[in-house]
Amino acid sequence: MQLDYKKLNFKCGIEIHQQLDTKKLFCNCPSLIRDDKPDIIIKRRLRASAGESGEVDAAALHEVKKEKQFIYQAYSDTTCLVELDEEPPHDVNKQALEISLQIALMLNAKIVDKICFMRKTVVDGSNTSGFQRTALIATDGFIETSKGKVKIETICLEEEAAKIVKRTKKEDTYNLSRLGIPLIEIATSPDIKDPEHCMETAKKLGMILRSTNKVKRGLGTIRQDVNLSIKGKSRVEIKGFQDLRNMPKIIENEARRHLELLEKGQELKKEVRKANKDLTTSFMRPMPGSARMYPETDIKTIRPDISKIKIPELITDKSEKLEKDFNLNKDLADLITKSGKIDFFISLANKYKNIKPLFIADILMNSGKEIKRRYNKEIDASRHIEEILEHLNKGKISKEAVFEILVEKANGKKIDYKKYLLMSDEEIKKILKEIIAKNKGAPFNALMGQAMAKLRGKADGKKIVELLKKLV
Amino acid sequence: MQAKTRDTVVVETKDKKLNGILMPVPETEKDIVILKLESGYNIGIDKKNIKAIKLVKTFERKKEKTAEVKLNKKLPTISILHTGGTIASKVDYKTGAVSAKFSPSEIIDMFPELKKIANIKSRKIASMQSEMMRFVHYNLMAKEIEKEVKKGVNGIIITHGTDTMHYTSAALSFILEDLPVPVILVGSQRSSDRGSTDAGLNLVSACYFIANSDFADVAICMHENLNDESCLILPALKTRKMHTSRRDAFRPINTTPIARVNFNEKNISFMKKDYDKKNKNKKLNLKLFNEKTRVGLIKTHTNMFAEEFLAYKDFDGLVIEGTGLGHLPNEEIDEYTKENKKIFNALSDMIKKGLVAVMSSQTIYGRLQMNVYTPMRELQEIGVLGHLSDMTAETTFIKLAWLLSNYKKEEVKQLITKNLRGEISERVEDKTFLS
Repeated sequence: MQLDYKKLNFKCGIEIHQQLDTKKLFCNCPSLIRDDKPDIIIKRRLRASAGESGEVDAAALHEVKKEKQFIYQAYSDTTCLVELDEEPPHDVNKQALEISLQIALMLNAKIVDKICFMRKTVVDGSNTSGFQRTALIATDGFIETSKGKVKIETICLEEEAAKIVKRTKKEDTYNLSRLGIPLIEIATSPDIKDPEHCMETAKKLGMILRSTNKVKRGLGTIRQDVNLSIKGKSRVEIKGFQDLRNMPKIIENEARRHLELLEKGQELKKEVRKANKDLTTSFMRPMPGSARMYPETDIKTIRPDISKIKIPELITDKSEKLEKDFNLNKDLADLITKSGKIDFFISLANKYKNIKPLFIADILMNSGKEIKRRYNKEIDASRHIEEILEHLNKGKISKEAVFEILVEKANGKKIDYKKYLLMSDEEIKKILKEIIAKNKGAPFNALMGQAMAKLRGKADGKKIVELLKKLV
Repeated sequence: MQAKTRDTVVVETKDKKLNGILMPVPETEKDIVILKLESGYNIGIDKKNIKAIKLVKTFERKKEKTAEVKLNKKLPTISILHTGGTIASKVDYKTGAVSAKFSPSEIIDMFPELKKIANIKSRKIASMQSEMMRFVHYNLMAKEIEKEVKKGVNGIIITHGTDTMHYTSAALSFILEDLPVPVILVGSQRSSDRGSTDAGLNLVSACYFIANSDFADVAICMHENLNDESCLILPALKTRKMHTSRRDAFRPINTTPIARVNFNEKNISFMKKDYDKKNKNKKLNLKLFNEKTRVGLIKTHTNMFAEEFLAYKDFDGLVIEGTGLGHLPNEEIDEYTKENKKIFNALSDMIKKGLVAVMSSQTIYGRLQMNVYTPMRELQEIGVLGHLSDMTAETTFIKLAWLLSNYKKEEVKQLITKNLRGEISERVEDKTFLS
């Protein structure tokens, strides 16, 4: 039975966390997430910081924490004293701040007059300092969707937490390589109408973020948390969506779970749940209380300067333009924009005017996959394409040779371009004549087949046809 | 009524109304209002964009009740005297205000482990960042320590800002003669409003050490390394803050630590055998600083000018942080180095007029040897002292000022290179370098 979300008084909002592709937010370490053997191990304990008393029994809380030791793994070459909580933060990473302002503008949000970084208390050890640094950058934005405006309540810039490696009763182990990577947090209002709409909103926000070309790509670099409730009852937060395509079904299942519990008259708890592989959800932890925040006194307040911020073109717009400008099909254009190689492609297409853009796009996007499929070898075509296209553009090698050269490269061989130099018309004619002489009376296609086999990579296919026609 | 800091308000701007709490604004940013929103975030709002600020609720400081601390007769008594810094500060998450907590019950509340170690007495004797201190504050601390000793406590802890903690430890070492109980200075490199503070382990380790060892001298207790595992008990006169921010910034210079305290394993291991032991029969005698004593500390460098030295011409004493074994630019060796001769003449003149000048080395580690090269012999000739000393510049400074406060000038010149309280090592072992 289809659910009527309007009747259910379905309330849903989404919170997106996206890692930025810059150095760390408060130091000059690379944002390089690692899991190789660490060369630094630090053992720490967290103390119940005094301010918590009054709200929680400090002594009791302390007893809990005292038992737990935190082991931090770090690397001499990619983490520094800041991640270890042994050096105060540096000034905020300018690039990360600019990207967050850029995103705020793309989301039609109002940037605050002055940005104040805060310390948000974190007690699980995932921050060596005992808090996460976070700042509210902008409020009151919106995006357009097929079902109307979805308001953006807040946009924050914050530090990524350390990655949990292992939990035991006595100690938790964290890897510090992820700690401090800049993270944009975007929270929408509960304006989402239904599960499909939630996916649409998530996709659109993801697309906008990727349009900056400054966000990290790949597994775990973007996370979506969905908040939902029905019939004005308790709110539940769902974390851990692996594949956005499953989002609508997971949300629908969760709404059904709420409905079932309410029908049975059972209590619906305010809690954080995890999205499961079978598209249901399961309990993760109780909903945390309101965050305890106090000013990060090591960082001055920042007056944002948006005068030099440029709003990038959306990748959906770019993709459409790519189709038109370079005469590509939609799939290939989308593939290029999604890959983040759009600027690279455009530069290649503009530089090598003698080559069809479609051919460049195909080599750039598909040759790697094809080589993997055929020869089970890895190669990143974008790293070699310029060198090869340079030869092709000058008419020194044939189109066919381009793929063969990539195959050779994938096999780790050094390329001798002389081997691929195109033959002169005279040389081609000589070979064609030999073929015709050996196969007297053979049909044109058979001759062509033999000629191609012999001349592959040394002459352009079109040219062979042309010359063969003349000779027969 | 006009809203004040920490009041709950509604701020009306051109396009919206914002609920929140008014936060204190730094002196340098008077053009904005900082509002703590209901989400907990602070934002700065330009005053020019504000149409009105409406008061919703005035701020009321919550009265916190704390339980009486019961005396445990089986446990020793330790007095904690606070001089400032953030070791016992507490954050109010609602308003972001940091307030310092000093009463015994508040201290126990924050560091409950202390209850099982000792009966804690605690009070504030000053409230300052350590770089603000003057000689008068050393005297003040010494007098407060004397009061506690007279009350019969088993040990005293001074909480202190870290920047000049090694100056204070040296000063107290000289002032407190025949100390019957330990005096341990404790600081923190991460403030106690955060979960990762080192204050707790430093304080608890110091208490544990006082309660469970026979040591009775002045020392510093700080983290041994970056782990929250062990603290070092460091010699008051031979320790230096060697890093701006690390937890293990305090390192012994030209000597070993006194002991290591591992509170989690309840273990104390002494690295030094020879130290002053608790003795109730000792009678504490204070040899205070003369607060009017003027001693300078000058660091030599290349391309120096005589005026730099002449700035100290009316001082009682001057510590020179020279280079290497005890050099300063005092020779004219070519047409370009005439200024060096001026420096030499100026210094010579100042010493003749009564300045006591003592050398130390900016290498930090190692001993002076002022006979090795001729220029240093010339310095000795004009009366620059310090030959064979291995004191840090900071300890030399404190010692010189203290000697000038308590002894005649001729005695000062004798005593400055004589070991009085362990400030000069007879032997320096290999493992003490960069440890």
